[in-house]
Amino acid sequence: MSGIRYTLRVQDLAKKFNSTLLFKSISFSVETGGSLCVTGPNGSGKSTLLKILAGIMNPTGGAVSLAAAADIPPCDWMNHIGYTGPLVNPYDDLTGLENIQFVLKSGNYASRLDSLLRQFNLTQHRDKLVKHYSSGMKQRLRLILAVLNDPPVLILDEPGTNLDAGGREALSSFLDLARKQKIIVLATNEPGEEKLCGGGIRLG
Amino acid sequence: MVRDILRNLQKDFRVEFRSRFAVNIAVSFAGIVTISISLTAGGAPFPVKVQSILLWVVLFFSAMNGLAHIFVREEDQGTSLFLRITRSADSIYISKFIFNQIFMMIIGTVVTPLFVFFVGVDVIHVLHFIMSVIAGGFSIAASTTPLAAMAAKAGGKGSLFTIISFPILLPVLWISISSTAGALNEARPESGTVIFLLAFSGFITAISILLFRFIWLEN
Repeated sequence: MSGIRYTLRVQDLAKKFNSTLLFKSISFSVETGGSLCVTGPNGSGKSTLLKILAGIMNPTGGAVSLAAAADIPPCDWMNHIGYTGPLVNPYDDLTGLENIQFVLKSGNYASRLDSLLRQFNLTQHRDKLVKHYSSGMKQRLRLILAVLNDPPVLILDEPGTNLDAGGREALSSFLDLARKQKIIVLATNEPGEEKLCGGGIRLG
Repeated sequence: MVRDILRNLQKDFRVEFRSRFAVNIAVSFAGIVTISISLTAGGAPFPVKVQSILLWVVLFFSAMNGLAHIFVREEDQGTSLFLRITRSADSIYISKFIFNQIFMMIIGTVVTPLFVFFVGVDVIHVLHFIMSVIAGGFSIAASTTPLAAMAAKAGGKGSLFTIISFPILLPVLWISISSTAGALNEARPESGTVIFLLAFSGFITAISILLFRFIWLEN
């Protein structure tokens, strides 16, 4: 990853679905090397907030900006943000490796790919069709897909879902290392994952 | 962009090849209907206009399920969010458009000779006939691709897609039928019908590329 420092800025963010107000007046700012944990009860809007931060969903009010040397336009966020969540499903009819190749932006990440597969214990399953994966293996694959291209911003929605003890340990050690070089925003209700973040906001 | 389109296409063909859902349904439907028409007619020749109508009915209904499938599959299997965060809306639309054009070409290539053989169609202006089938198929695929995206996003299955497609495809089918009938008559066919079909496809495709991101991105 390059030495560029990024800032993720959120100002007065609000989201409404029809007449239901999910949240309003959310403001924060996170810089490279910082991490933020979003917590709250089910239905409080954690996943919606993360989708807005990832540029997948539009807010009803307020603004999100990602800046490096200059503001990065929302249409280019995809190249700077790694996102995963429970609704990000890889293709069942492709193998784990084929899904990874579909996401991989450059051949230069081949050695990183090997290390991620080893770290998340998927090396021996990479040629299996994803429809034959267990839910924990699918979650490990989701995490690899999100971090594969070494994005400077990681937005992870409940990253520990379905992971066993080994998977959680791999996730913790990955996040522990990555948070020094990236912006990490994660939504979770797991106390272990909350501890990995520098700050937090609670919804609901 | 070109690299992204090629990778999307490779992924779509790989997934389709492994499930063979769209091709199997389309080819089975086309074969069954064509042979049924041939057996029911018992060798009696149909009028030129009826032959042309039957050919486009078979082509249209063979292709409809498969054309919608390219977007409906992404929603059904829950992969649309993964695709959305991986590729730009433009590259997704163009690759799905190309996939549908290739799919329609395959259906046309399988169905048309089968229909000509079993129904005993006497093609007089061969080049015009081929051009009519290609241009008509191109128009159907161009018009149905954005409609498939809308139907998939609305959570609709095949029936919604067929219903919303009808008003858009009516002029396409109308002109395709009359153009194909022209190729089966003695009189010299008009090339204006083929040009209309190609121009219509170009217009729909340009509008769809501009508007697709509003269908695809969540609000």
